[in-house]
Amino acid sequence: MNTDTLPGARKLALVAAVFVLAPIPVAGSGYYVGVLTRVLLFALFALALNIVFGHNDQLFLFMGGLGGIGAYTTALIVDTVGVTAWLALPVAALLCGGIALSVSWISARRRFTVILISILTLNLQLVFSETFIGARDLTGGSTGFPYELFSVSGVAGAVGIPEEVALYYLILAFLMGGMVLYVWLINSKYGMAFEAIREDETAAESIGIDVVRYKTIAGFVAGVIIGIAGTLLAREATYITPSIFTFLAVDVIALVVLIVGGIRQTYGPIVGAVVVEAIEAGLSNYAADWRAAIFGALLIVLFLYFRSGVIVTVQNLLDEYNVLSGGGGGGSGRTPTETDAD
Amino acid sequence: MVSVSTLAAITVDGLAFGASLALLGVGITLVYGLGEVLNLAIGAFAVIAAISASLLTGEGVALPIAALASLGLVGVFGLVIDRTLLSLVYQSDGEERILLGIFTTLGLAVMLEGILINFVSSRYSLPLGIPPIDLGTTVVTGTSVVSIVVAAAVLLVLFAFLNRTFLGKATRTIFQDERGAQLVGIDPRKIRTLVFVLSAVVAGLAGLLVAARSNVGVGNAFQFTTFALIVSIVGGVRSLVGAVIAGALLGLVNTLANFFIGSYFATIILFGAAIVFLLFRPEVMSS
Repeated sequence: MNTDTLPGARKLALVAAVFVLAPIPVAGSGYYVGVLTRVLLFALFALALNIVFGHNDQLFLFMGGLGGIGAYTTALIVDTVGVTAWLALPVAALLCGGIALSVSWISARRRFTVILISILTLNLQLVFSETFIGARDLTGGSTGFPYELFSVSGVAGAVGIPEEVALYYLILAFLMGGMVLYVWLINSKYGMAFEAIREDETAAESIGIDVVRYKTIAGFVAGVIIGIAGTLLAREATYITPSIFTFLAVDVIALVVLIVGGIRQTYGPIVGAVVVEAIEAGLSNYAADWRAAIFGALLIVLFLYFRSGVIVTVQNLLDEYNVLSGGGGGGSGRTPTETDAD
Repeated sequence: MVSVSTLAAITVDGLAFGASLALLGVGITLVYGLGEVLNLAIGAFAVIAAISASLLTGEGVALPIAALASLGLVGVFGLVIDRTLLSLVYQSDGEERILLGIFTTLGLAVMLEGILINFVSSRYSLPLGIPPIDLGTTVVTGTSVVSIVVAAAVLLVLFAFLNRTFLGKATRTIFQDERGAQLVGIDPRKIRTLVFVLSAVVAGLAGLLVAARSNVGVGNAFQFTTFALIVSIVGGVRSLVGAVIAGALLGLVNTLANFFIGSYFATIILFGAAIVFLLFRPEVMSS
């Protein structure tokens, strides 16, 4: 049943319910709650990438750097102005949105190809990374500083749940907010414009679609989400260092997550994050030293052979055996969620 | 105030760093110009050459032999990558090929770094054992001078190959007009293999030259790749001469900035240069 305001709202509510219940069996284990939290965080990064890259062909390779700017800015505002992190976060997120907006605006105005945007943002990523290490007065350099904002421990104590679980629900709220925004965006006039621009930019322009405007909006939305995700990433680690926000630690993983799940699939980022974090958790038990090697190999194989992602592949398989009639994407989308989350 | 002799010594060191940058830039430019694959794993080739040469000299192998053996090794490795991974990439065309090239070579870079770190986790150097050269008023590092000479010689040979030999001319034809080259009977795929191996060896040499002047570890691989990218962006990704000039210039600027305002700003200047060039001359990257 679809409502007029938000198509697929029921499916989204179901996915949210699964994630709300997910920590209960493992609430005693800080390790598993950490794994679940990382699922949410990378789903959030991949969600932003899905909007800006999947739907707008703007390959942002500075998600780590932008996330870092969000995290450091939030901490700096709290420190210098003395306000709560709840007020600082929106400011930091808007700053990240502004940076992404400028990149998108310049790129769209100058008609940059997807390759050019990727190389431009990769260079920005490296500048940001270098700045985090170099600007010791602001960031503490490679040593970093403890990052325990949002007074999560207070709330956790009041409700009587472990701090990590409280943080998990906080991040879940942001992810679900992001999902609602995504579903609304893609089904609105913006989504239609995105699709038209992606099909044929010149044709879209000729029927009066303002290409620069839509690409800039997509960049801004992605930038805001990335800024929030970066801040939460540092909060989850409870300690901030530049190494959290490197290209290899954030961008590569978010890319793998998005492609595993399926680009332009509503639940692609979530399914991808579940699969990737399940692999990662498995690796850290048996082959921690080979983590990077395996993710590199995964990136190659995914792009060569598996660009449609888990959701589409599972759907095709199910269709082939006539298990599923049309429109049951939610069922196939959740299958890996449930099997891998255990 | 810095004395003239110090300035001269820094300039020579800067040019030596620039020589390595030029080689890396040429390595990335060769492959991109010919096959539109932006080889983001190029730094890994440099690091593999440097580390294997260092390990060989540690085993008592003479330095020139160790250097040649390590270059041979990355050459063979380049051949394997070209025949396997890049064959798959070349099956697609246009923008999709470029994108696929970026992702597969990025994956390769991450994978190689992940594999290597399990076996060679410390930092390696390749001391040439050349004493400083006294020029009367100025003393310059011998190793830096050798680096510049070796890089210049190799680049001259490479340019002579591209300009004088049939194979080289065939290569340049594909650079300019792939369809036309095919019409006159040149097989672009074979030439691409040759050029990829060549670029791997050139990058390997860059790695050796860096290792001669400082320590190199597996973690430097991605840094080398980013340097190569910057050089090819500033030099124009299809121009070999541009890559050489940009490499020398950026090496000089980076080393001077390093000396006068610190290493952190020096690196930012490098990336900043690339960003400025991308914003104001984006046509350098377009096909």
